[in-house]
Amino acid sequence: MLIPHPLLGLRDSQEFTYLGDASLMNRPDPSAPDAEAAFCDYVFLRNNPAGVHRELWFHEQGDRSWLIVTRNTVTHEILGAELATDVKLGGAQ
Amino acid sequence: MTRLTGGLIDRTKPLNFTFNGASYQGFEGDTLASALLANGVQLMGRSFKYHRPRGVFSAGSEEPNAIVELRSGARQEPNTRATVAELFEGLTANSQNHVGPLHRDLLAVNDMFAPFFAAGFYYKTFMWPRAFWEKIYEPLIRNAAGLGKLSMLPDPDDYDKGFLHCDLLVIGAGAAGLSAALTAGRAGANVILADEDFALGGRLTMESDPLDGEDAQVWVAKVKAELESLANVRIMPRTTVFGVYDHGIYGAVERVSDHLLTPGDKVRQTLWRITAKQTVLAAGATERHIPFADNDRPGIMLAGAMRAYVNRWAAAPVKADNDAIAIFTNGDDGHRTALDLIAKGAKVLGVIDSRADAKALGSYEVFAGATVTGTKGRLGLKEIEITRGGKSTWHSVGALGVAGGWNPNVHLTSHHRGRPVWDESLLAFVPGQGGPKGLIPAGAAAGKGGTATAMADGMRAAIAALSELGMTANEIALPDAVDASQAQAAFWHVPGKKRAWVDFQNDVTVKDVKLAHQENMTPVEHLKRWTTLGMATDQGKTSNISALAVMAELTQKSIPETGTTIFRPPYTGVSLSVLGGGDTGPLFRPSRLTPTHHWAEAQGAEFVEVGPWMRAQYFPKAGEKTWRETVDREVLAVRSGVGLCDVTTLGKVDVQGADAGEFLNRVYANMIGTLKVGMVRYGLMLREDGHLYDDGTCARMAEDHYVVTTTTANAGAVYRNMEFYHQCVWPELDVQLISTTDAWAQIAVAGPKSRELLTRLVDDFDLSNEAFPFMACSDLTICGGLRARLFRISFSGELAYEIAVPARYGHALMERLMEKGADLGATPYGTEALAVLRIEKGHAAGAELNGQTTAQMLGLGKMVSAKKDSVGAIMSRREGMGQDARRLVGLKPVDPTKQIMAGSHLFTEATAHTMETDQGWVTSSCYSPHVESYIALGYLENGDSRMGEIIVAANPLEGITLKAEVVSAHFVDPEGGRLRD
Amino acid sequence: MTDLTPITALGAAAPRVETFGALQIEENAGLALASLALRKGGNTPAPFGLTLPDVASAVSNGEIGAFWTGRGQWMVEAAGKSETDFAALLKAEAPECIVTEQTDGFVAFEVVSTQGGAPIEALMSKLLNIDPKTFGAGQAVRTGLEHMTVFLIRRSDEKLAVIGMRTLAGSLWHALAVAARRLED
Repeated sequence: MLIPHPLLGLRDSQEFTYLGDASLMNRPDPSAPDAEAAFCDYVFLRNNPAGVHRELWFHEQGDRSWLIVTRNTVTHEILGAELATDVKLGGAQ
Repeated sequence: MTRLTGGLIDRTKPLNFTFNGASYQGFEGDTLASALLANGVQLMGRSFKYHRPRGVFSAGSEEPNAIVELRSGARQEPNTRATVAELFEGLTANSQNHVGPLHRDLLAVNDMFAPFFAAGFYYKTFMWPRAFWEKIYEPLIRNAAGLGKLSMLPDPDDYDKGFLHCDLLVIGAGAAGLSAALTAGRAGANVILADEDFALGGRLTMESDPLDGEDAQVWVAKVKAELESLANVRIMPRTTVFGVYDHGIYGAVERVSDHLLTPGDKVRQTLWRITAKQTVLAAGATERHIPFADNDRPGIMLAGAMRAYVNRWAAAPVKADNDAIAIFTNGDDGHRTALDLIAKGAKVLGVIDSRADAKALGSYEVFAGATVTGTKGRLGLKEIEITRGGKSTWHSVGALGVAGGWNPNVHLTSHHRGRPVWDESLLAFVPGQGGPKGLIPAGAAAGKGGTATAMADGMRAAIAALSELGMTANEIALPDAVDASQAQAAFWHVPGKKRAWVDFQNDVTVKDVKLAHQENMTPVEHLKRWTTLGMATDQGKTSNISALAVMAELTQKSIPETGTTIFRPPYTGVSLSVLGGGDTGPLFRPSRLTPTHHWAEAQGAEFVEVGPWMRAQYFPKAGEKTWRETVDREVLAVRSGVGLCDVTTLGKVDVQGADAGEFLNRVYANMIGTLKVGMVRYGLMLREDGHLYDDGTCARMAEDHYVVTTTTANAGAVYRNMEFYHQCVWPELDVQLISTTDAWAQIAVAGPKSRELLTRLVDDFDLSNEAFPFMACSDLTICGGLRARLFRISFSGELAYEIAVPARYGHALMERLMEKGADLGATPYGTEALAVLRIEKGHAAGAELNGQTTAQMLGLGKMVSAKKDSVGAIMSRREGMGQDARRLVGLKPVDPTKQIMAGSHLFTEATAHTMETDQGWVTSSCYSPHVESYIALGYLENGDSRMGEIIVAANPLEGITLKAEVVSAHFVDPEGGRLRD
Repeated sequence: MTDLTPITALGAAAPRVETFGALQIEENAGLALASLALRKGGNTPAPFGLTLPDVASAVSNGEIGAFWTGRGQWMVEAAGKSETDFAALLKAEAPECIVTEQTDGFVAFEVVSTQGGAPIEALMSKLLNIDPKTFGAGQAVRTGLEHMTVFLIRRSDEKLAVIGMRTLAGSLWHALAVAARRLED
């Protein structure tokens, strides 16, 4: 596969390490009253869609940036990639 | 000899070769199959199941019959298709799958038992008794069925891999491929033209039709010369593009020196990963046959292959020159073969055409509305039975060409869930929508197989592909060519009672397809598995569609309703050697060497692989007979004097920035931000689920600069994980993470005399306990100005330091430490002693941090700070985690000479050893020269309150049960006085 | 000066150099490296007068160069300066930035062609999934080479620097040398 890195362009997916669902970026508030339940969901429950999926890839053999890659898990078509830091600081989900 | 005139062989270059021990001669440009045919050899192998005599059936990579063992010794290569094996001087080949000589195969007896070997035979017969499968049935079947034999010797040749990039990949260098490549090449695109053949031209090399009124080879040569002159075009003959992968990546194997006796300095094959922006698939088409009774005799082959042998290789497909040749066809294409044979002076009996209105296209007899209904000739075709209007006559022939129509080579188009669609006008599957993106079929592969049409289509495809890239390509002047008539009638097999083969390589007959139908195995996927149709090394290239047609007839459905066959990679077989693609043995993967590796090597150290690292395991001295003797000595040297160990492999991450402390507070379970500059703290990292993840030390070198160490095994993962929290969770923090594992050579200097030794190296630095206490750290210089970092930390439980210097000085530092410590008993120690020392001290390592354990279990529950949030903190407090009562304990066998194996489970005495009574397990174990007993660490239920109890460590796998006393995990200095003095 | 004697990443007293047809591979033991990272919201400095390069690029003034390694991150290199405290020199040039000594973290192999860019590109095609045609002079990337992570700098058409982890120096040399040798035929 080729990952369209937002800065570096198309890169061989072998340069990357895969993590999974981008919802891992939304770590629950540890001080919330239902923190434990929220963490249980966060740690153990993931969607596993057959279709469009936002997922985290780490450019380990590259610029060491974490990317959010939007990929169709059925066709492997990649619809876009963003720097995770920018998304997080921009407040987008 | 049945060599004809002409052809694309070089008669000035004769090549000698042997087949089954007999010597023959061919010419440069021959394949093994063409050279054998030219020598009148028709019999080339035995069939898979029935051991029927077989001859060559095709002229390409689709070959089901002429499968041989090529070469000998370590280079012996089974299951090689004689049709694509390029002839070379000294080639040796042997037919395979027979016992005794090829013409008197003892296993031909299988053919007499054919009624028992029908479809589903294995499934029905060998199901019971079940235990017989592995020991009796399978070895028997494997021995009888089959394929060639491996040499069982290591492959002596080198294999390579590489990466190529292009705007346009053209797969196939026939009429369509050449015009596509030329169109794109002239437009300035970066083009790769790959063909599995060693010659360019595809069918143009095998047909007699002229281009521009001249021999087609003239045009092929002109195009080849022009492509070679273009710097933006790379021509890759002998290269099979075998698969399409995501996003325009293609796998290809280049047979660099398969056509040589030995590769010499070259590699044997190269695996190329080609990244193509666009691709034209000009893979041509494969001819199919028409099953009829006894249609598998040597001498019966595809009519198009026959044309190829006479035109390209000047080889008549018969044993003797005056043997007559017949053609059996359902369309006009078979007549082309007859015409070419006549033009080459071969004797043609006539064309048997299933169409009642068939007419001769030249001066030969046509048996219109007739079929072939039988054959004779055990080791080579002698007679055929022609039936017309219920009347049969036998005719003497030496060969029969069968023309059943052409199937476009849609294989690569179906690699990404693309499904071919049925074209009723062509009576063939053509590429459908939805295949790999950017892959454009052209020419015969797209069902546009006439020469003129294919060339125009190749050009069109190249222009379309380049326009996708925003490039403009102009039309090129194509030579005058004609499309030969492809008119044919749907005629799929000749009905009859005798066996009519559909799949030659796996011995599947029309009867087998009928049986599958009877037994309700009608979907094509079931048909394949029940009959093994299309599952041989040829993957059914010549048989799948015919079988589908027979099944369609039986179910009275249309062919597309019956099913389609789609294909997975690889297009043709790919050797495992080339997929391995390079180094083997110790060079199989990269090795990380520590800065003192060469020094340790010179000391005669034994090394051990630790992940990617090679680490010194122990340093044997002359006279030491066992590794234990060495390790015991090394351990005692540390406990009594001073030992030296390279610990560079521990992961080191420099954490810098204004928020470095805050960041570390969040990734470590314990408080780090409160650490004073110049001090080190032991830290625990949890996973977000609350389990232990990693441990190590964290040193505060400056206000905003920390050095984190990780375990060797987790170094990469911890660094990645820290980046995850930095970038994805808390990007607002001002912090930078940089791995410095390789930059510093770090040596543990451990033992009561370590301070004395270091005092002799440091430049004006106070090492006294007051100035540099336990868990202190500092930048300093040593040995006259060398920058260094010093940490007073201890894994062994002794007074100890770790000193780090720029990596290139690690070697010299080790030498200097040994030299200056000679009178102190300085002793290098390896990973074995390191492990013994830490087990004696009760320090956790990988076996204790196995992903299922918690801080509480290590007795470090209080380290998980309740005052702050950190990764894993919330989940570590959930029910069932915080209450886990298993604790790390030490275990001492009642008999000190008995080793408690790691992995043993712990039980109370006099209980049954079951899951319910399980009390914990043993994590680490060693012989302790300090305790003078075997010792172990383990997790035990309520272990911290069971000191002195005798329990049982059971290892049911080995049948060993040992009694052991529960003791403190700290076998050495439980109060920790030594490391603080 | 310390009285300890350093060894090269390949474990010898002197840097290794070997010629394979048109290609020469030389261990660049004198190359000093230090990484430079901006603090959050920090301004981009111009150490030693260098304009720090943009994404996937490298610059050099002959003595000192820099290549992009990530957003807001560069590696600064200085030929023949491995025995100096180069990080300290760089820190003085960019006091607001995070500077980390990297000289000993890496091994640098300089691949030089005597026959133009083609041998360099042929070598790349055997080892690196990078299109040489889009990797001209002044380009710099990090990628994988035989499972090892490397920085690549196309110093010129004829010169390619391969900078890998120091502890993998032997394996990296092996990979480069085998590929270069096979191109000799």
